[in-house]
Amino acid sequence: MSSTVIEQAVEREEPAAPQKNYLNADHTIKSWLLTGDHKRIAVLYLISVTFFFFLGGIAAAFIRAELTSPMGTLLNSETYNKMFSAHGIIMIFFFLIAAIPAVLGNFLIPLMIGARDLAFPRLNLASWYVFMLGGLLFIIALILGGVDAGWTFYTPLSSLYSQTQITLALVGLFLAGFSSIMTGVNFIATIHKMRAPGMTWFRMPLYVWSHYATSIIAILGTPVVAITLLLVALERGLRIGIFSPELGGDPVLFQHMFWFYSHPAVYIMLLPGMGVISEIMSCFSRRPVFGYKFVAFSSMAIAGLGFLVWGHHMYVSSQSVFQGIIFSLISFLVAVPSAIKVFNWSLTMWKGSVVFSTPMIYALGFLGLFTIGGLTGLYLSAIGTDIHLTGTYFIVAHFHYVMVGGTVMAFLGGLHFWWPKMFGRMYSEFWGRISAIVVFVGFNFTFFPQFILGYLGMPRRYHYYYIAPEWQVYNVLSTAGSTVLGIGFLMPVFYLLKSLKSGPIAGPNPWGATGLEWEAAASPPVTLNFDGIPKVVGPVYNYDAIEDSESFRREQMEKVTK
Amino acid sequence: MSEHEAATHGHADHGHADHGHGDHGHHVIPQAKLLQTFFILMALMIATVVAARLPYEGGIKGIPSAIAWLVLLGIAFWKAGLVVQIFMGVKYSTKLTKLYAYGGFVWVTLLGVTLFDYATRQLEPVQGWEPVAESALPR
Amino acid sequence: MAAHAHDGHLRSPDMPEVYPQFEDIDQQQETYIVGMWAFLVNEVMFFGPLFFIYGLYAWKHNAVFYVTSHHLDYKIGALNTTILLISSWMVAMAVHYHQKNQLKKVCNMLWGAAVCGTAFLAIKLIFEWAPKFDHGLFPTPGFQSRYLAYYGADTNPDVARLFFSMYFAITGLHALHVLIGVLIFVWLIRLIKKRPDVITDYVPTEMVGLYWHFVDLVWIFLFPLFYLMPK
Ligand SMILES: [Cu+2]
Repeated sequence: MSSTVIEQAVEREEPAAPQKNYLNADHTIKSWLLTGDHKRIAVLYLISVTFFFFLGGIAAAFIRAELTSPMGTLLNSETYNKMFSAHGIIMIFFFLIAAIPAVLGNFLIPLMIGARDLAFPRLNLASWYVFMLGGLLFIIALILGGVDAGWTFYTPLSSLYSQTQITLALVGLFLAGFSSIMTGVNFIATIHKMRAPGMTWFRMPLYVWSHYATSIIAILGTPVVAITLLLVALERGLRIGIFSPELGGDPVLFQHMFWFYSHPAVYIMLLPGMGVISEIMSCFSRRPVFGYKFVAFSSMAIAGLGFLVWGHHMYVSSQSVFQGIIFSLISFLVAVPSAIKVFNWSLTMWKGSVVFSTPMIYALGFLGLFTIGGLTGLYLSAIGTDIHLTGTYFIVAHFHYVMVGGTVMAFLGGLHFWWPKMFGRMYSEFWGRISAIVVFVGFNFTFFPQFILGYLGMPRRYHYYYIAPEWQVYNVLSTAGSTVLGIGFLMPVFYLLKSLKSGPIAGPNPWGATGLEWEAAASPPVTLNFDGIPKVVGPVYNYDAIEDSESFRREQMEKVTK
Repeated sequence: MSEHEAATHGHADHGHADHGHGDHGHHVIPQAKLLQTFFILMALMIATVVAARLPYEGGIKGIPSAIAWLVLLGIAFWKAGLVVQIFMGVKYSTKLTKLYAYGGFVWVTLLGVTLFDYATRQLEPVQGWEPVAESALPR
Repeated sequence: MAAHAHDGHLRSPDMPEVYPQFEDIDQQQETYIVGMWAFLVNEVMFFGPLFFIYGLYAWKHNAVFYVTSHHLDYKIGALNTTILLISSWMVAMAVHYHQKNQLKKVCNMLWGAAVCGTAFLAIKLIFEWAPKFDHGLFPTPGFQSRYLAYYGADTNPDVARLFFSMYFAITGLHALHVLIGVLIFVWLIRLIKKRPDVITDYVPTEMVGLYWHFVDLVWIFLFPLFYLMPK
């Protein structure tokens, strides 16, 4: 049905046996731990980030449990500090930054651009080991007593006063950063040099564009935070003074260096998710993404502008007010490319034949939640409102709407979308939809009350609020919602694992989607991805050319109503 | 990433088109050129040591060391340019390599936005952005 | 190809090896160079903040930094600059010879560069760091009083401490890069001699060369900023 788009080129190597694929090519543990195959490394990453996600989730559960009471009875202050620090650090550095690029990006980029593997397979494997080593060091730091300086490690608390395992944690984060740099270098070289014949820049799926932008941020931003955290570690270890006023340094300088990376890092987490949404929206609306070039360039614009707004985290840090105003203006500008994406996705659905499959429900959830997250960001980029809202639960709600409502929804949507490609089996569509809806509902119950709490003035990082017991109702609501959210996150573990054993065989293209990974590769793909390198002769998202898109839609609707 | 760049560097048509030297499509930099570059670098090194010890009169806009700084950094950038262009071969490389080679050095200057903070911290948000008196709030 | 490993003298296989993920040797070589440059961009952003922080403090505390920086010996700095420039030239020559497939000369040049790198580290350690450690000028607690004891009250010791913090941070990190470079040289020479099945073209040498030139670049800026600071 798709021969108009792709022609198989002359085969270069002898074809693999038909039922062989990357999963069953070799069964030994060694073949997994020493693999150079990007698909296997993606699976290794998937297992790792899932572990870290639930580890961070446990810390979150303690936080929510503690906040049901205004008196803070469950944990003492120190333990509470360590809990939210562990939650933040694990979720950001060991889940969000790695989740979509290292799992889905690793798996899909070579498949999408028609390459046999990433440019540097051994570097790819090394990145996983470095990531795991960093994670291991951080877990050791947790076991030895944890870290209490929050995920931002502000000096001089982190450099002089904190008595916890900060040095070890910093080394762990340094390694995790290194892993993300390695992945970024690999993606950049791959996307520039490994595209199949005919795969021009504007025939690439938008997913690949968003990963290109992400990789650029990773190599330009991550080293800055790496060196900054290294200096903090040196300051702790040797008491050389660079960021601590007692030692002659300037703590605000730390914040500048930290946010120079950590604001763009938001886009390291978010841009890949946006790429996932483009793919899902287009597939389940049966239409090409509206305004392809606008979406592609908005990724690059976000990557560029993202580097010029870091000061909006520092309005109350004694940063120059004059500079604050400039940062505020540029922060507003970032809303433009983000809005372009949201409008273009909405227009993609317009007059499309929308199929409410599991990935699509996640994607629609993303659209709503990311919009709320993005728009509340404008409250925070305006200096006047930020002074009221900074350091409150409004911020917490805002970035959870962006990070969880954006990245995690996109990750789950993408995982459900490409699961049949990764493992060749379909999961239970019924349970998939239930979980997507449970996550959406639970998420809003958890985090919407926090907007109100923040507006009322509840500060983040405090574990009691007996001064204002009237906040309890919102906190209890939030905790109840987080329970639902947790159940929603657990459900996929069960039905996805079950599908590996007993799910129906997916076939190469169960969704009737476009793109080399669906049209030219088997499910699961063979070790070298394609039987010969495919040749691309038409644009991506050629859904208009798929004649049976109408019958596909009817088929899907039947499945729903059954 | 411009469209033009995209057109020249896909793997459909990579390689020989932009630089046709040698069998493998790479440029061999002649020994004489490398040696010449080395001697220029040495001369610049000596020049920078001498320049740092010259007496500079005046300065620019009240900064007495401004001229000296300009001279020293100018020489440093000159040396860096020679190393990047000749020793690292960027002069003879593809547009893509040039983009990455220079892109990093351009991007790192963004850190300089921070200087703006330190330069304007003493300005108060009042009409005309007057600097506050020395005795005002600690900065 | 492994047959070449034991035939005594250095030669590379007739055809460079193309890894399975690539279509041909041109694509492979270009991909490696692009990847290396992407890595170097990351290195630039790694050293960038250090230079930036140094520049910021040097601007804020100009007078003190001037006095303190003159406790460094610019002659040693110039000597080390010379050594690094020589090594950089040798590495460029190594790439030149490798492109012409003269492996014996490649190894000689790489050995020369490794010796230069080691000499750089030795000079740094023996003539710069060791005396400063002896005089207690490493910025650990109590630095201020040790500074006053050694140099007298020629400037504000609190800020002098900041200068030495930056000095040790940047030169230390640079020296770490030099050390890594020397180890890579030795490793590369071994590979060229023993494993012609691994090193089948000039690209590994070129990549090591790019790394080494970058180390040289850092020093090119470090030298005037620390040793030749004008008033
Ligand atoms: Cu931000």
